[in-house]
Amino acid sequence: MEMNDEIRIEAPRSRVYEALNDPAILKECIPGCEELTQHSDTELEAKVVLKIGPVKARFGGNVTLDKTNAPERYSLAGEGSGGVAGFAKGGADVDLEEDGDATVLRYTATADIGGKIAQLGSRLINSTANRLAGQFFKRFKDEVERESVSVDSSA
Amino acid sequence: MNEMSPPKAERAAALKGLGSARKRVEDARFTQGKGNYVDDLKLPGMLFGDFVRSPYAHARVKSINADKAKELPGVVAVLTAEDLAPLNLHWMPTLAGDKQMVLADGKVLFQGQEVAFVVAEDRYIAADAVELVEVDYEELPVVTDPFKAEAEDAPVLREDLEGKMEGAHGPRRHHNHIFTWEQGDKASTESVLGSAEVVAEEMVYYHRTHPCPLETCGCVASMDKVNGKLTLHGTFQAPHAVRTVASLISGIAEHNIRVISPDIGGGFGNKVGVYSGYICAIVASIVTGVPVKWIEDRMENLMSTAFARDYWMKGKIAATKDGKITGLWCHVTADHGAFDACADPTKFPAGFFNICTGSYDIPVAYLAVDGVYTNKAPGGVAYRCSFRVTEAAYFIERMIEVLAIKLDMDAAELRAKNFIKKDQFPYNSALGWEYDSGDYHTAWDKALKAVDYEGLRKEQAQRIEDFKAGKTRKLIGIGLTHFTEIVGAGPVKNCDILGLGMFDSCEIRIHPTGSAIARLGTISQGQGHATTFAQILASEIGIPADDITVEEGDTDTAPYGLGTYGSRSTPVAGAATAMAGRKIRAKAQMIAAYLLEVHDDDVEWDVDRFVVKGAPERFKTMKEVAFASYNQPIPGVEPGLEAVSYYDPPNMTYPFGAYICVMEIDVDTGEHKIRQFYALDDCGTRINPMIIEGQVHGGLTEALAITMGQEIAYDDMGNVKTGTLMDFFVPTSWETPHYTTDFTVTPSPHHPIGAKGVGESPNVGGVPAFSNAVHDAFRPFGLVQSHMPHDHWRIWKIAHDFGLHG
Repeated sequence: MEMNDEIRIEAPRSRVYEALNDPAILKECIPGCEELTQHSDTELEAKVVLKIGPVKARFGGNVTLDKTNAPERYSLAGEGSGGVAGFAKGGADVDLEEDGDATVLRYTATADIGGKIAQLGSRLINSTANRLAGQFFKRFKDEVERESVSVDSSA
Repeated sequence: MNEMSPPKAERAAALKGLGSARKRVEDARFTQGKGNYVDDLKLPGMLFGDFVRSPYAHARVKSINADKAKELPGVVAVLTAEDLAPLNLHWMPTLAGDKQMVLADGKVLFQGQEVAFVVAEDRYIAADAVELVEVDYEELPVVTDPFKAEAEDAPVLREDLEGKMEGAHGPRRHHNHIFTWEQGDKASTESVLGSAEVVAEEMVYYHRTHPCPLETCGCVASMDKVNGKLTLHGTFQAPHAVRTVASLISGIAEHNIRVISPDIGGGFGNKVGVYSGYICAIVASIVTGVPVKWIEDRMENLMSTAFARDYWMKGKIAATKDGKITGLWCHVTADHGAFDACADPTKFPAGFFNICTGSYDIPVAYLAVDGVYTNKAPGGVAYRCSFRVTEAAYFIERMIEVLAIKLDMDAAELRAKNFIKKDQFPYNSALGWEYDSGDYHTAWDKALKAVDYEGLRKEQAQRIEDFKAGKTRKLIGIGLTHFTEIVGAGPVKNCDILGLGMFDSCEIRIHPTGSAIARLGTISQGQGHATTFAQILASEIGIPADDITVEEGDTDTAPYGLGTYGSRSTPVAGAATAMAGRKIRAKAQMIAAYLLEVHDDDVEWDVDRFVVKGAPERFKTMKEVAFASYNQPIPGVEPGLEAVSYYDPPNMTYPFGAYICVMEIDVDTGEHKIRQFYALDDCGTRINPMIIEGQVHGGLTEALAITMGQEIAYDDMGNVKTGTLMDFFVPTSWETPHYTTDFTVTPSPHHPIGAKGVGESPNVGGVPAFSNAVHDAFRPFGLVQSHMPHDHWRIWKIAHDFGLHG
């Protein structure tokens, strides 16, 4: 399953890029995220509660960031297990393009879901995944723009 | 005849024997909720088991940590393959000569595979504990496409078989190849195809589906450590075979195992096999010393216990220009899943698929079936059919339609032109069967007339014109089928399961007051055996069916038999019943002659009594004979009146039928409406017309389900996409159409009462009838083949692809 979209964030690219690497911001933006621990510059561990249809499960997993093409490009990949509920793995490629003082963020995210959660929620997975991805980037935009505004006003 | 003797017809009617629409004796309890199913069984101290199952379709199991589960109050034990290995029970034999993991041994090969078995004081604690078992998996590449299973770089699924180039059914050519089964004459068939005037070629897929019985599989194992006896209550379609297999793999002596099949809520093949749950419940009961119950839930049933079908059938059919079939070629790619657990007679790895020449006189044919392993659940059972007969019937009935299109000929006419003629029976088919009897033309003509076939075709032609003129958005499809089944497995000379000959049995005891009990080696799962077998016996021995108890399913009391599946109960156990009845009558004749003071040869049978030849006023009823057999010494005759028969059928039986489905299809929504369904069945002698009608209604409804939506679908990762009844189509009264049933009677010449079996015919014939109706609706637009299931979306897609949405 693949999802993609484009959003415009009213903040400079360097700020957007920085936020994408900030565990505190990520934790705020990932829907259902309970814990996000940074183990190294590129390795994170997450605990996320995911609800698809009738199944609600706590997924634990690792996320790896790829910063090779900073700040134009940001990639992450991860996988997690929800025990009897199943498992999920996926990743996202994010392109950041400068547009004056703002940044255009384009993402392509992939997700594969297996186990009971995939069976019970098979009709709901695509819509749920799209919704979660949308939610993440919406919150991310709000979070970054709010911070940028506060930074601006304090300056 | 004295005044004490009612007329013959009246006495015969009072017996409620063969031909009587006797009401089902089982229904009093079923309709009042008083059935006794395995989950109703509650034994003192009973524990409950539940499985940890794999979320992955293919993965290495790196570790299993059950510590947290074991700490949960109420959890008694958690079993893994490691615990079963010392008992050599971590693997079990399958019915197809393969072996299967009881619990994951190092890796998992399909989603839903059993990984660990949790035993707890109640069912809820067991389920909670399942969530606490931590399993560390390493994902492996998945094979879901059977055509990619034998690719050079395909992952090795069965590491336990690596390097073994000889399987249970001959050589293996690749690590994911199971067997190749060839029948018929390849060279002659290819030569006929090469020089034929017309050859039609098509790939016909019969998708993976599931029997989905209302009651899921389950058991209660109870090991009595004091007397060393294991009692196993369960949903078994073959209780005696389960006892033998349980003894062979557990080492418990067979006389110390008692298997009981109580009331069973539908089987349809799903309850033939041996499942991990049974083994784990037995082991858990042995370990804990108390009874252990295991009952599947619906998702577990759909994703782990035996599926059905999944045959990719490539066909070539050769004919003359005027439609005389000259040869048939078929290659099947059979997706067997992770373990070969098909339930087929040992010598038939593709069951009786070689009945695929159908009702037609085809001079030469060739068949090859390749079985392959994939990362899907094992199974391949006969879902309300004899072994792979539905696949065969669907294949040939589609190929006939495809040929009719190629010849631009009416499909009804093409069938009639090629039917085996009445005077050709017994008929030897090109793929090796001897059809016992048939009269296909009579049945076919009756069916066409009943539905006014010509009128329907005219209406259909008019509808097409109206459609093209924009006056309607609905098409009409006329689905034709003439199927021939092969049931009643089977002759011990070529039919066995795990070495057990497929005979069946009946033991009769006549009580002193003239009532009786009959015990059989079969087991009813809703077929109404207690009703119909009593009727067979009533006609044989002259005791009213209402005075005969029929009992099955307890291996300590019933005679040995191979169970109920493949429409074998009436052809085999029904024959045993008649034969045991005849033994009773032979002994009763000696007693009656003695009582009447005449020679044995001077009495003759008359419905319910023996009469002195030429002196009908002198008689002894069976009831009188029964009493005499217990209360007075009869020279040269042992006391009592009992008999047992083990019947080894000389041949299979070959029921047939003509089905016609008239369907309206909404081109814009893909929805369908069954306007008419006419089902003519010829099952030989008819025992109980009411039960036959019920069987036909039930079988047609399952056929409707399979054809129009029911499937077990996997995604590329091996996830089961249809694991609940939300996605797996089971029709309710809302979707179920009205059926018209009809019959002809062509008795089986070798069966003692001429009966052939009927329970599965409607599933075998129903699927091609429904499917052919869908195809027929789009034939004017060029449709040749579209795979099942024909759900709304797929029908809509056909219309869309032909540009019918404008």
